[in-house]
Amino acid sequence: MKNIPVKLVGSALLALFLGAARAADTVKVGVLHSLSGTMAISETSLKDVLLFTFDEINKSGGVKVGGKPHMIEPVIVDPASNWPLFAEKAEQLLVKDQVSVVFGCWTSVSRKSVLPVFERNNGLLFYPVQYEGEELSKNIFYTAEAVNQQAIPAVDYMLGEGKKKFYLLGSDYVYPRTTNKILKQYLKSKGIPDADIEEIYTPFGHTDYQTIVASIKTFSGGGKACVISTLNGDTNVPFFKEFANAGLTSENCPVVSFSISEDEFRGLPAKALAGHLGCWTYFMSIKSPENAKFVADFQKWLQAPKVTGVDYTVTGVDPKGRVTCSPMNLSRIGVYLWKAAVEKAGSFDVDKVRPAIVGQKFKGPAGEVVMQANHHLVNTAFIGETLPTGQFKIIKTIKKVAGEPFSAKFLGAN
Amino acid sequence: MQVPRAPRFLAGLFLRVALALAPVIAGLGDDAARAKLVGAVLSEDAAEQVAVVRDLVSVDDPVVLRSLAAWRLGNLYVWSPPDGGAGQPFLLEGATDAEGKSAAIRVADGSPLRDAAGTPVRVVVADLSVADTSSKVRRAIKVVLDLRAVGDPDPAVRRDAIVKLGQEQEPDYLPHFERRLPLEADPGIRRSLAEAIAFTRLGGTDPAVRIQAVRTLAELRSINSLGYLRKLRGQVSPVAEPELRRAVESALVVLEDYVWWGTLFGTAFRGFSLAAVLLVASLGLAITFGLMGVINMAHGELIMVGAYTAYVVQNLFRSSFGGSVAVQDAYFLAALPASFVTAALVGLVLERGIIRFLYRRPLESMLATWGVSLVLQQLFRHVFGAANVQVGSPRWLSGSWVISDVLLAYNRIFVIGFAFAIVGLTWLLMTRTSLGLQIRAVMQNRAMASALGVRTERVNMLTFAFGSGLAGMAGACLSQIGNVGPGLGQNYVVDCFMIVVLGGVGSLPGTVSASLGVGVTDQILQPWLGAVMGKISVLAAIILFLQWRPAGLFASRGRGLEG
Repeated sequence: MKNIPVKLVGSALLALFLGAARAADTVKVGVLHSLSGTMAISETSLKDVLLFTFDEINKSGGVKVGGKPHMIEPVIVDPASNWPLFAEKAEQLLVKDQVSVVFGCWTSVSRKSVLPVFERNNGLLFYPVQYEGEELSKNIFYTAEAVNQQAIPAVDYMLGEGKKKFYLLGSDYVYPRTTNKILKQYLKSKGIPDADIEEIYTPFGHTDYQTIVASIKTFSGGGKACVISTLNGDTNVPFFKEFANAGLTSENCPVVSFSISEDEFRGLPAKALAGHLGCWTYFMSIKSPENAKFVADFQKWLQAPKVTGVDYTVTGVDPKGRVTCSPMNLSRIGVYLWKAAVEKAGSFDVDKVRPAIVGQKFKGPAGEVVMQANHHLVNTAFIGETLPTGQFKIIKTIKKVAGEPFSAKFLGAN
Repeated sequence: MQVPRAPRFLAGLFLRVALALAPVIAGLGDDAARAKLVGAVLSEDAAEQVAVVRDLVSVDDPVVLRSLAAWRLGNLYVWSPPDGGAGQPFLLEGATDAEGKSAAIRVADGSPLRDAAGTPVRVVVADLSVADTSSKVRRAIKVVLDLRAVGDPDPAVRRDAIVKLGQEQEPDYLPHFERRLPLEADPGIRRSLAEAIAFTRLGGTDPAVRIQAVRTLAELRSINSLGYLRKLRGQVSPVAEPELRRAVESALVVLEDYVWWGTLFGTAFRGFSLAAVLLVASLGLAITFGLMGVINMAHGELIMVGAYTAYVVQNLFRSSFGGSVAVQDAYFLAALPASFVTAALVGLVLERGIIRFLYRRPLESMLATWGVSLVLQQLFRHVFGAANVQVGSPRWLSGSWVISDVLLAYNRIFVIGFAFAIVGLTWLLMTRTSLGLQIRAVMQNRAMASALGVRTERVNMLTFAFGSGLAGMAGACLSQIGNVGPGLGQNYVVDCFMIVVLGGVGSLPGTVSASLGVGVTDQILQPWLGAVMGKISVLAAIILFLQWRPAGLFASRGRGLEG
């Protein structure tokens, strides 16, 4: 028994030494996604894909600064779907943990809550989820789809299909309201009169869609009508059930949803949605060698998730049959853009990295993206038709759509 | 799609020859039609493609029809031979095999696609190049398929196609409708056909025909034409075309009147259906809270227990009887009693384990049941996962019954019927059985009932279990309408308390009237104020009402109010 403490001290010293040796070559990176609360169901997937990407980069030699490889060391915090807590956790990451960059946020309200924190501490945030635009911070890079990369192409597609009446249905919060405001202006500029545009909102968690579906039925009575849906989360289930029961189909009145990606189908009856449309800058069904590798590597990584040899548990979701979706792809792209910019700048310093990010290119699963000076990507938009399997069949590809956060600019161009 | 230059030229040449022969092509064999289609698929001229597609409307060849449908959906592929020959469009045949491969069928002659050695090729979808389409071509194909669908054996397909084509107001489609009209046996579709014909004629120029068409639309009570007629009213000048203007105006009076009644009945039905949902959800609480006075914060989770029971029963049925449609239809009948029993057992354990010690301490019982609700939520999240689970709908609860353009969804009708049934059963239990007599006795005066030999402990236990069971059945029923997830209970519990308090604690008729009042008011306000403001207005109205009558609609003296 006597020699055990010696061994323990020895191994502790060794660990300390190794730890010190490793610490010299690591870079701290913040992950700011809700791991509990209402948003956890969507945001944990982003945390998973971020850790996968860090591991991918570390395995291939880490981030090289001044010829020296740096291993990415994630600092994961849980803002628990609580918007003020997002700001606190962001402050913690930037001030206490001194991370070089943060990947995070899902809802617009959480982004708005951390924005002043990043500006005050001169931090760097990559934001990956489609949003309403009308915002531009020098401390945030938006890999997310701007309105003109998702909503406008979808509406253009509908106009191209001969649709003349638009029913804008959304959950009652900032993203749907701003998006619909822009879409209404856009539709008017395309010659759709006010009388043929309907704009309706329902509260979060609304389950009684009888009246709304009845009004859609009347609205679509004269034909050539479609629904543009920004309904969020599980309210889609009662909506689509009611919709199908009323005899409405993707044939007589198609629905384009902006908030339903492959990942959301885990909780939705895909069959009820079959035939309806989605618009994103990435679909899991894209055929490209980069995508095939991304999907296969991610699914393999989930079987035994580790980041640089450190085990890590995937919580809450069955790792089998996990899908990839646009926000996940855009999260991953953000990491690679940052890595390339750091290597170009030769420093982790935010003021040096920021100018280096602009103009960075990355050949991702959905084709090449370029970061513009307005902190948004040039990306490819896809229109997809929902299949009963919960995947999308791509029916239209719009290449090189330059993200533009301010609607005044792209509406003015028309 | 890359097609070598020379073959493309040849294909184009062939196409021009084929087009020159177009007038006689209907009489030619299907080979010619297929060749035309092949040419169109390989062509890069969208106008030419559209023209060819339109010509194919009279062709009956199954390969052509399948190819058109596949082309539109992007399921038509082109094989470019390695030796640089002309591209060959092909379809995929049937199911994929174990390696994910399927057989390929050539559009040109319906034969299997063969490689250089002459053996049929089997292909993987991911490796194929899809035949290009544009939205113009897709729309042209859609029109052709719709025109063919006018004679489809499936009535639903027929009706959809007729309604859609009618809305185009395209005179070319008239012969298709008129040819179908004498053959059509289904009265509903005959009406749709007549509507489509009238609507198309209205789009023409002959004033007499247009006036007749307007009259026909009014006679048919064609709601679909309402929007167009309203526009027409603005366009037709009362001076230049007085008769047409008069016809449009009188048609609008008839139609608007019809729509007004339809909206009235629709709103009434939706109001009743929302009332039934509220009633079904809160009836259990009307017993545990209303009659027994337990502020049961776990009521929502008892509903959740019932909904998850339906999910488990569904999975059990699928694993033991297979996933056929008949099984799907049958499981729900078993799920209702099963959810009653499961939730009643949970209620029984809850009552024996916690609540019976707290009957005289309402605040502690509230805290304890709230704790139980959190424990149950986490337990279900742990067992079934945080995501919602899918509870399928049987066929007899999907779709709707349409009377005079008012939609009555089957699942809504079922909930209304179910609400009647459980209220009726509860009433019978309370008034016609000895248990009901004992419940009422204990409720009114526990000490006296006990003195008369009623086993009050047992009555409490059974009453609470019964109330919980009702909540469970409500869960199974609500699984047909909303989501089933760990947060299900929280979505309903506030509404349930609201209904019971509004109706008057301890009064079953109060709960029924409160559900009706809230449901109908909500549905009447919603079209005017929107879903958000509608709900706020209803809540504000309830607050005002309770200020005026704090004891609710039907104030009664129950044990819960004795203090």
